[in-house]
Amino acid sequence: MEAVNIAFAPATGTEEEWNEAYARLADYFRSYRLHNRIRRTQLILETLRRAAETHALEPEKSPTAHAIEQARGMLRTWLGSIYEGLNLTESQIEATGRLGFHLCDGPDRWPHFFLDDDNLPEDMADAMRSVVQASGPSLQISKMTPREIDLGKITEITEDTIDTLGRHALLRYAVLLLMVGGVLGYLFWLLRV
Amino acid sequence: MSVIGAQTANLVANQGLPPTRISRARRATFFSFVGVGTVAGIWLMYVFLSEGGMRKAEWALLAVFAPLYYQLNMGFWTALFGVWIMNRPKADPLDLWRTLSADDYRAPITASTAIIMPIYNEDVTRVFEGLRAIYESLSETRQPETFDFFILSDSDDTNKWIEEETAWLELCRQLNAFGRIFYRKRRKPINRKSGNVSDFCRRWGRRYRYMVVLDADSLMSGAMLTSMVRIMEKNPGVGILQTFPKQIASDTLLGRVMQFAQALYGPPFMAGLDYWQGGEANFWGHNAIIRLAPFIENCALPPLPGKEPFGGHIMSHDFVEAALMRKAGYAVRLLPAHHGSYEEGPPTLIDMLKRDRRWCQGNMQHFWLLFAKGWHPMSRLNFFHGILSYASSLLWFLFLVISTFLAATHPGHQQPQAILAEQILLGLTIALIFLPKVLILMDEMFTGRMFKPLGQRVMTFFSSIGDTIVFTLMAPVLMVFHARFVIYTVLGKGVRWVAQRRRMDGGVDWAETIMTFWSVTTLGLAWGVIAFFIGWAFLLWFIPILCSMLLAVPVAIIVSGRRSGQRLGLFRIPEEADPPLVLRAMNQRLNVVKDRIPLQPELERHFGLMQVCLDPYVNGMHVSLLRRRKSIELSRDYLKKLENRLLKDGPTSLTPQEMKAMMHDTDTVTNLHYHLWSAKEHELAPFWSLAIRQHNLAATNPFTHLLAQRDNE
Repeated sequence: MEAVNIAFAPATGTEEEWNEAYARLADYFRSYRLHNRIRRTQLILETLRRAAETHALEPEKSPTAHAIEQARGMLRTWLGSIYEGLNLTESQIEATGRLGFHLCDGPDRWPHFFLDDDNLPEDMADAMRSVVQASGPSLQISKMTPREIDLGKITEITEDTIDTLGRHALLRYAVLLLMVGGVLGYLFWLLRV
Repeated sequence: MSVIGAQTANLVANQGLPPTRISRARRATFFSFVGVGTVAGIWLMYVFLSEGGMRKAEWALLAVFAPLYYQLNMGFWTALFGVWIMNRPKADPLDLWRTLSADDYRAPITASTAIIMPIYNEDVTRVFEGLRAIYESLSETRQPETFDFFILSDSDDTNKWIEEETAWLELCRQLNAFGRIFYRKRRKPINRKSGNVSDFCRRWGRRYRYMVVLDADSLMSGAMLTSMVRIMEKNPGVGILQTFPKQIASDTLLGRVMQFAQALYGPPFMAGLDYWQGGEANFWGHNAIIRLAPFIENCALPPLPGKEPFGGHIMSHDFVEAALMRKAGYAVRLLPAHHGSYEEGPPTLIDMLKRDRRWCQGNMQHFWLLFAKGWHPMSRLNFFHGILSYASSLLWFLFLVISTFLAATHPGHQQPQAILAEQILLGLTIALIFLPKVLILMDEMFTGRMFKPLGQRVMTFFSSIGDTIVFTLMAPVLMVFHARFVIYTVLGKGVRWVAQRRRMDGGVDWAETIMTFWSVTTLGLAWGVIAFFIGWAFLLWFIPILCSMLLAVPVAIIVSGRRSGQRLGLFRIPEEADPPLVLRAMNQRLNVVKDRIPLQPELERHFGLMQVCLDPYVNGMHVSLLRRRKSIELSRDYLKKLENRLLKDGPTSLTPQEMKAMMHDTDTVTNLHYHLWSAKEHELAPFWSLAIRQHNLAATNPFTHLLAQRDNE
């Protein structure tokens, strides 16, 4: 990466907009848990420099959007050089790469080399490549087919009855009414004077 | 579709199986006692009722009394046989522990075993810290290489899903367990838990000889796990080996009373069950080891006839799987053990009833299987007992209704023979209910199985009195609810699959408790008025039941509270006094996580979503774990609209289905991350503005927020 130019003077956008972009980028790079502030500042300024160039070409987009887009572009380029030859799509590289950097403790072990395409320590690249994970072991497919259980005659009759009652609401309520009426009638008969 | 053989197969090998001769002798003995006790009770009841001839209502009373008395006898004799087995000088010849020699314990384990944990919207920290404790306990046995862990998620709450993935990754990173602990999320939770287990069997079942099934709240020691595998290796005739999971970690009165009762009365009941069930025991769905090849071959569950709740997908799959395994010729055995297998119970009475509602529906479904061809008679009996465990509440309710009716219409008993029969029956029934408790308590007093110090044994005595009071107060309330559940199931009112609450989050919800139990109080009040008009004698006989119905609301509030008698030393269990290492390790880490700084409630509620959108590592992890699919233009537009809504209006603007649709699409999840960070403040919902501001606080690091960190981190 080139030496950071501290004199930052974008041709387009307001100071307020660029300050907002700065704050967002600061938050964004902190979310990578890069605890080294100098490295974070370097990254922010480099990203803003690139964002200022693209904003001049496309001023209708906010500086914040340009800044994050540039950060994404830098990440893609960096990860592309690490995962070159692994037969991964661009979006896979992006997701796997971020995960890989976290899993090999990249933010603690190699904070200075984050997004630095010119200096790729071999051990970091190896560590990031080796942690491409799968969430399960390779499949060994088995057939587990339910076999019909012969439920017997009583169950069959019950099933038919319940099925018939289920299909005919009128019949269902008639049976219920008959049962309730029967119980009430029986009670009346028992309690008659 | 082939039909399972109409006959139970012969047992495939004799190791680990109780010989038929012994099983038959044991069952003949046991059921003779049960039969004599039941018949004696029915006869006494008949003598009492038949004074002046039997009316139809009296026949009805006798009809509901008979199964109730049978159930009472089953419990009584099971406990008594258990106490006898635990105290007889000669060890049980069928004890599976005896099949292991000292050399077996020293020999390395070669059999591959999968430890699977199906989960559904559970407390992520508890699940993964529990798993960590099991993993570390297993590592200490120096036999961990042959064990793999699978977290099988059916969670449909997006936040839980992301949190599970994050916790899995962090746990693997901390334990260096990639390739040993696996995470699988099903896109569609077909057939719920049993479907989840079957899905595992179909995908990876052939890689393993055994499968240990855990619940989300299960905890097992490494020593127990390795012993189970060794027992299975020595006993190839055993298809399922079920341990006795002890209830632990409760902090409410109900939970502590239940775990105390289980610790004190559980072991003799387990020993008694093992005595008469032999090789035809039941599978309880978790904390058990299963021989995978016959399980895959024979235990796939067919749907039941009819629609849910009575038919359709089998909910209580464990009993059916046990019956199918036995049908295939493999024994299903219980493994009586006092340590190494644990679970948690429901914290409040309402949670307990919710669980019972599901269990009730599951057990009632077994009615279809009761008359199916080919079951071993004991499997059929297991189905019957399962049904009876809930149907008995309805029978008890009917018993009380008919008794009230008879009291109102019957002039009263005069003949000395009827009065004598009533008195003997009353005495017998009291003995059946309380004698097992007294015997078990005496056994504890003399042997000190739970506690050696005399002071603690004395406290056990007082705790036993306490648990009797609590269960007496709850029994009629449970009866009313269980009877209602049975009727609901028969009438076709099913239950939804919801996540279980296993620990109290806050205090007791008074409004929910009053809304749930006021109907029981009203019923008690109405019944009390009727009993008063019938006469003082009936009211007096009925008063214990009436009291607990009238007090349903305060009792529910008290038992669900955190005043659990712990300060007084009541309801203590050995695991509280001296926690096993696996429990201690888990609790220490849970306390660390509990002490972390919480976020604003809104962010805590949507923690998973916040992280997958904002955190570059969580976002990368989630996208990496998703299966890539070709998306069509139509779905692109739809997902774009959802994404805009999520950013502008916040997470509450989307339905759970819409949220899930977004989180299943790799491009959408990736773009969300960048669009969120690129958006201007005024373009975002207040939720996201807050989330961005809070995201980089140390406490919100997703990997430290959900799990405890290693000591050196």
